[in-house]
Amino acid sequence: MENIKLPATQYTPEIILDVNGTISLVGKSYPENTFEFYKLMMNWLEEYFENFVAEITTVNMEIIYFNSSSSKLFFDFFDLLEENSTENKIVINWIYDEENETAEEAGEDFIEDFESLKINLVTK
Amino acid sequence: MNLNESKLVLEIEALKNSFIKTTDKLIKDVKRQDKIMLRSDKRQQKEYDELQIKLQEVEELKKEIEATQREVVFTMGSIGESRSKETGFHVKRVAEYTYILAKYYGLPEEECEMLKQASPMHDIGKVAIPDIVLNKPGRFNDEERLIMDTHAQLGYDMLKYSQRKLIKMAATVAYEHHEKYNGKGYPNQIAGEDIHIYGRITALADVFDALGSTRVYKDAWDDEKIFKMFKEERGEHFDPKLIDIFFEHLDEFLLVRDMMKDIQV
Repeated sequence: MENIKLPATQYTPEIILDVNGTISLVGKSYPENTFEFYKLMMNWLEEYFENFVAEITTVNMEIIYFNSSSSKLFFDFFDLLEENSTENKIVINWIYDEENETAEEAGEDFIEDFESLKINLVTK
Repeated sequence: MNLNESKLVLEIEALKNSFIKTTDKLIKDVKRQDKIMLRSDKRQQKEYDELQIKLQEVEELKKEIEATQREVVFTMGSIGESRSKETGFHVKRVAEYTYILAKYYGLPEEECEMLKQASPMHDIGKVAIPDIVLNKPGRFNDEERLIMDTHAQLGYDMLKYSQRKLIKMAATVAYEHHEKYNGKGYPNQIAGEDIHIYGRITALADVFDALGSTRVYKDAWDDEKIFKMFKEERGEHFDPKLIDIFFEHLDEFLLVRDMMKDIQV
């Protein structure tokens, strides 16, 4: 299974998917076709959890801005992590700038919705 | 219950469970959808509010910068004025005259407005002229005249390093407002349209105002004398096109002069 590294664009975050167990999303997320854009990542993750999962999977999310469909996508993403969290050790870091209240609140919302996931709020 | 029956029941039970699971997921999704929309709306509202505040701040900063620049330029003009023998509203009138000339010459409105702000700095170089020369009553001798004439170059040297459009324009004005159309001015004896239009315009505006004003060392020229001189200097001291504009729109120049008269002490 290949690692994936997508550079950030004006509308999409940098995405790093590493078989060693590092998943990272950094930047803004408001693509024109959100689900199309994240398909690659979601497919990769499914295969990863099925066949290649590392001992610890660390998810670093540093999203400074996202649109509604990205929000929906993140729910699906956390669902997928939650489904796999009983058998695997998954740590999620929701990283935000101290001054970005909106990002902080979004992180708090995800913690509330996904009680069984370990989501850390990390300020930069 | 026979074997077939119980198998059927089991299958139906399984279907029922799967149906419940699916409907649960559907309900969860529907509820989640509402939640996502609600949160997104709230988030977007906040983000847009912040954006508007930031935009407003930028707008205010922009205005502040422009006002500061205008003030700096105007203050510099006043400093130049305080060091020259011109008094009162001289630089303000020159500003208005340059605007009128620039407008009828066909420069874009923005440029006319800028020239109006930059032209008051034409004499800024006089801050570097020694008092003994600058404040000498009566006429200058040749040596003093040479020193006085350096104010054009001095003004240019003060302003030329600026990256600001307005100050760059003021540098050109300071440098070239004593050049003459026939090439007999200073500091570089350039002629015709080699003299920047800002220089040619300010030259006419400056002279018109100086001649028409009373000074300790001279009376104001009457209008007939000024107009005669302007006609003679058409194509000599002054750009002929600008002289034509001046006479065509004489009423506007005289109106400015009337409205911004020096207060006689």
